[in-house]
Amino acid sequence: MRTSLQAVALWGQKAPPHSITAIMITDDQRMIVTGSQEGQLCLWNLSHELKISAKELLFGHSASVTCLARARDFSKQPYIVSAAENGEMCVWNVTNGQCVEKATLPYRHTAICYYHCSFRMTGEGWLLCCGEYQDVLIIDAKTLAVVHSFRSSQFPDWINCMCIVHSMRIQDSLLVVSVAGELKVWDLSSSINSIQEKQDVYEKESKFLESLNCQTIRFCTYTERLLLVVFSKCWKVYDYCDFSLLLTEVSRNGQFFAGGEVIAAHRILIWTEDGHSYIYQLLNSGLSKSIYPADGRVLKETIYPHLLCSTSVQENKNRPFVMGYMNERKEPFYKVLFSGEVSGRITLWHIPDVPVSKFDGSPREIPVTATWTLQDNFDKHDTVSQSIIDYFSGLKDGAGTAVVTSSEYIPSLDKLICGCEDGTIIITQALNAAKARLLEGGSLVKDSSPHKVLKGHHQSVTSLLYPHGLSSKLDQSWMLSGDLDSCVILWDIFTEEILHKFFLEAGPVTSLLMSPEKFKLRGAQIICCVCSDHSVALLHLEGRSCLLRARKHLFPVKMIKWHPVENFLIVGCADDSVYIWEIETGTLERHETGERARIILNCCDDSQLVKSVFPIASETLKHKSIEQRSSSPYQLGPLPCPGLQVESSCKVIDAKFCPRPFNVLPVKTKWSNVGFHILLFDLENLVELLLPTPLSDVDSSSSFYGGEVLRRAKSTVEKKTLTLRKSKTACGPLSAEALAKPITESPAQGDNTIKFSAENDGIKRQKKMKISKKMQPKPSRKVDASLTIDTAKLFLSCLLPWGVDDLDYLCIKHLNILKLQGPISLGFASNEDNFSLMLPGWDLCNTEMIKDYSGVNLFSRKVLDLSDKYTATLPNQVGIPRGLENNCDSLQESDTIVYLLSRLFLVNKLVNMPLELACRVGSSFRMECVHNKVRSAGNDILNMSSFYSCLRNGKNESHVPEADLSLLKLISCWRDQSVQVTEAIQAVLWAEVQQHMKSLGKIPVNSQPVSMAENGNCEMKQMLPKLEWTEELELQCIRNTLPLQTPVSPVKHDSNLNSANIQDMEDMPDRCVLEESESPGEPRHHSWIAKVCPCKVS
Amino acid sequence: MATVMAATAAERAVLEEEFRWLLHDEVHAVLKQLQDILKEASLRFTLPGSGTEGPAKQENFILGSCGTDQVKGVLTLQGDALSQADVNLKMPRNNQLLHFTFREDKQWKLQQIQDARNHVSQAIYLLISRDESYQFKTGAEVLKLMDAVMLQLTRARNRLTTPATLTLPEIAASGLTRMFAPALPSDLLVNVYINLNKLCLTVYQLHALQPNSTKNFRPAGGAVLHSPGAMFEWGSQRLEVSHVHKVECVIPWLNDALVYFTVSLQLCQQLKDKISVFSSYWSYRPF
Repeated sequence: MRTSLQAVALWGQKAPPHSITAIMITDDQRMIVTGSQEGQLCLWNLSHELKISAKELLFGHSASVTCLARARDFSKQPYIVSAAENGEMCVWNVTNGQCVEKATLPYRHTAICYYHCSFRMTGEGWLLCCGEYQDVLIIDAKTLAVVHSFRSSQFPDWINCMCIVHSMRIQDSLLVVSVAGELKVWDLSSSINSIQEKQDVYEKESKFLESLNCQTIRFCTYTERLLLVVFSKCWKVYDYCDFSLLLTEVSRNGQFFAGGEVIAAHRILIWTEDGHSYIYQLLNSGLSKSIYPADGRVLKETIYPHLLCSTSVQENKNRPFVMGYMNERKEPFYKVLFSGEVSGRITLWHIPDVPVSKFDGSPREIPVTATWTLQDNFDKHDTVSQSIIDYFSGLKDGAGTAVVTSSEYIPSLDKLICGCEDGTIIITQALNAAKARLLEGGSLVKDSSPHKVLKGHHQSVTSLLYPHGLSSKLDQSWMLSGDLDSCVILWDIFTEEILHKFFLEAGPVTSLLMSPEKFKLRGAQIICCVCSDHSVALLHLEGRSCLLRARKHLFPVKMIKWHPVENFLIVGCADDSVYIWEIETGTLERHETGERARIILNCCDDSQLVKSVFPIASETLKHKSIEQRSSSPYQLGPLPCPGLQVESSCKVIDAKFCPRPFNVLPVKTKWSNVGFHILLFDLENLVELLLPTPLSDVDSSSSFYGGEVLRRAKSTVEKKTLTLRKSKTACGPLSAEALAKPITESPAQGDNTIKFSAENDGIKRQKKMKISKKMQPKPSRKVDASLTIDTAKLFLSCLLPWGVDDLDYLCIKHLNILKLQGPISLGFASNEDNFSLMLPGWDLCNTEMIKDYSGVNLFSRKVLDLSDKYTATLPNQVGIPRGLENNCDSLQESDTIVYLLSRLFLVNKLVNMPLELACRVGSSFRMECVHNKVRSAGNDILNMSSFYSCLRNGKNESHVPEADLSLLKLISCWRDQSVQVTEAIQAVLWAEVQQHMKSLGKIPVNSQPVSMAENGNCEMKQMLPKLEWTEELELQCIRNTLPLQTPVSPVKHDSNLNSANIQDMEDMPDRCVLEESESPGEPRHHSWIAKVCPCKVS
Repeated sequence: MATVMAATAAERAVLEEEFRWLLHDEVHAVLKQLQDILKEASLRFTLPGSGTEGPAKQENFILGSCGTDQVKGVLTLQGDALSQADVNLKMPRNNQLLHFTFREDKQWKLQQIQDARNHVSQAIYLLISRDESYQFKTGAEVLKLMDAVMLQLTRARNRLTTPATLTLPEIAASGLTRMFAPALPSDLLVNVYINLNKLCLTVYQLHALQPNSTKNFRPAGGAVLHSPGAMFEWGSQRLEVSHVHKVECVIPWLNDALVYFTVSLQLCQQLKDKISVFSSYWSYRPF
């Protein structure tokens, strides 16, 4: 994901499923971390009163999470590590949900222990791992690379569980129990050196324990003598000194033990797989003191367990439970027993310091202290947890909202198609839907926004496909939908009519795919329907016919490939077998399994016969999930299909579509039909669109001149007619005049050849061109300007902290943005695969915030402090509003928005910038020429500095650069203090808005004279762009003759200011167009535009 | 639309009843069947601790190839370990007969068999923790269980069907070459692995490449079976494989185990398909 991408999650009413497979409480007892079968991690806030509230969902694993563990000394760095079924490992920072490090190893871990020995070890310590491989792996906690392993000399086997023995008296050692029930001991502290020198370290001792399925091994740190080993059918206590058996307790009434812990001297806690737990007192009879046992047999008789307390869950139905126990002796920490269920419920028990039985000696029941599920969060904060189309579906039938079972976003039309459980399909304008859902008083938006309801299915819609989105050759109006009843409908989305119904009679349609562009049959690409009875049907849309029904597959279809030369359809199934179908005749050509099947599938990749591959995961009814990277081979077996396709789809979006300022990403979850949507705002793209200079302008001049200018002229005219048409109602005659202007002006292109002597500026220009050339010019596409500004407004609404001050009203009035209904669930990407989403109610997790603050959507308390700091460093320009001072309010409004966005972009860039680059900036930001040198090194800086100059231009006045420099220093400083990007962005936004609004409040709106002056200024300056343009023209000639590398001379400092001004002029026209589209201004304003625009054209 | 709803009301009742039966009875019947099959499979692997205690019985396998008789091997398998090996090699050049055996004190663990066995026992463990007394509440629950079991079974099968692809230096470094008495000459490499139901032994004969040889040195990548001409660097020497001998022998019980895996995988999938029929009742709880 691009760093400038900001995501906002729109959850539905139902929480995504979270079947807990691993659970832990952080060392500070402030957070519970759970891992799920779906592959996500969830962070739950734990208050001092032991109240639970879900905070954040972390995406990153594409398979079930197998274990969680601490990955650092928690007081120093709040890092945990998670491992998944397919060998993925991630280290997460749990305070901000960022993924710090990730790796995929060919090992599946089932348990991880963190080990660090500060005085013998360099680095961050080791993760000792065991799982479905022999012996114990040592993985570096920082890099996640395999350091070495602890080997066993006898009976090497998989290890089930392990624990680290750490005490003052005894040397650190590692205790493990293998699958076969072999207890092994390795020295830890004394073998650190040998491990670091890559020498093999073998076990010190080993003993056969005579039981299978070991669940837990624990060393009693209180007595430093006892060893508790829990097997699934019994638990045993051993003497650590000689590993003699002291006690065996067999499970009763078919219970399976799942784990245990020593909670005090001679007191142990055992829990079972169905969620019960028992606290036992281990009693010694007097014998052991008088006759110290020579052999274990005597001692064995002296210990017996006495049940003190027990806990249970009311609905102990869903097995298995994963449980854990947190033993903290320090105040104010609690002794907590915690459990997570497959259903996603977390339960806590506060274990008393001294558990005692009832007076009559019978065990006491410890009550549940707290219990919570994700759904509770969603129910409690229901304003936040509405789905994107709840409003529309509610409108339709009055009561009840439809559950969205599938959805598809069409970026080119900005339309969101949602298939519902009741068989209707709703098509809405995505941005409007998002606004109606997020903003307060959105009823205006709701009423005005059109939506269509397509009725044709009788069962819930399971999959959708918009063929035009995949191949532009297909009809733009076509849309396909498949339902639970095996019916596929071809729609015309513009006329809302059914073009054709295909009845496949093959069970629910799990996914709809399209053949790659290379593959055509009877002149058109064909559609492939995968159904839940494992059959595949091929549809020909033009012919409205079904070409092939492949029904022989025994296992779910995993992969579809096309062989364009021989017209074969190659179907890969979940059992690694391959079926090859001849499409024309519909016969099964070949069926292969095993090695040969693998070769066939790989073959297709190598020979490049298949251009695009659609590996699909269609286990049972798991909806459409095109995942591009699931074809990566994995040593131990096939990848289980990923639960949520967020990450991969993000990638797909990046790869497939040109950047768009606004995007909707539908997300489906595994094992359920619960889905949600993510709104993606591309800040960079948004700023580019709103502020298309100097990047595109300068750039276009450096490309081939004639055609470029013509094209641009055309597009300007187009834009103008477009915008003017909109404003026609407001000012009829004038717009006509304005319309005429560009046409008359366009011949002016002809006399562009006027030469201006520009020797002074020559080198500087060239420099500028160099910038623009590295700028990765984006083709300026025609994007609806009002859509862009609406997106920008929605984005600002999402980021502003509302209700903090009395500024809400001012914001609504002057910026024309609407207040949020509730806090938004922000998404945050730490790298291209890892992603975190806030859950409804995240804002109540910060307890200190609730007390003194009534607003919504403040990301953290820190934001206000940061904001204050920022304001303090802001140059003292109260009274001079940023942006162009214009008489038109709306102009100013959109201008401010542009300004704010570019500021946010700058902050985003700065905070996300890699450190080494940042250092250079810190020292040398002011030196433009230094930047020129750096430019080749990093595009980041380049972008940033140019935006920086843009910003300065936006202010339209020669202010001291030192002021901005200090701001940049401040922001860079935030990054070093690990302030989150979102916090920084909100803080800056808040400070800027405050500043802006205050200035507005102080100066009454008497901008008439100012604007007069401004206009005059403009007219005067309008010559400048022309001048500049010719300079560029000349430069082109220079460039043709001179080598590209121009020496950067220090002279340029002087001309900097000048260049800024020119740039400024340059960027004005475009902005005017945008502004104008927003709302028509006064007549004078139009003439002003008409004057400026030709300048741009030329 | 109204008639559709009315018709489905009665239909729904029947479906619900059927689904209840599926979750109550049918699932457990299938799970029992699966358990039986997998227990049978795990018996083939002679799991220690389950049932018969004591050392696993020894089996001798005579490895040969249909073509030449240059290499002959007799390997003794004890559970998942090779306890004895007896390799006869006729050198092609001088017809000299070489004979190697395992050292008495050493065993060679066949990791593939151990892993497959462990995966099976994990699958069995998943199944026995849901015996008849356990009530399934939702279809999703069964699907998740089946997915977990199938994952284990697929891994078990893949461990047997896909031997590790090793590079020549990895083979040279492996402990297997140090297992023999008398020690293997430096120009021989030996590898043992399982491929499907067969126990395979490969012997590579090497010759050193001259340091000034004009031959283009290109180290070979990982492979199950390297072909003559593959080159690698070992120590300071550059070596090339001159002859490859592969002999194999079918292990009957591995064959059985593979069949059991396939059958149980199909059973699992069929159960999943049955559950999927009721997919509209995802969140439906009959109790």
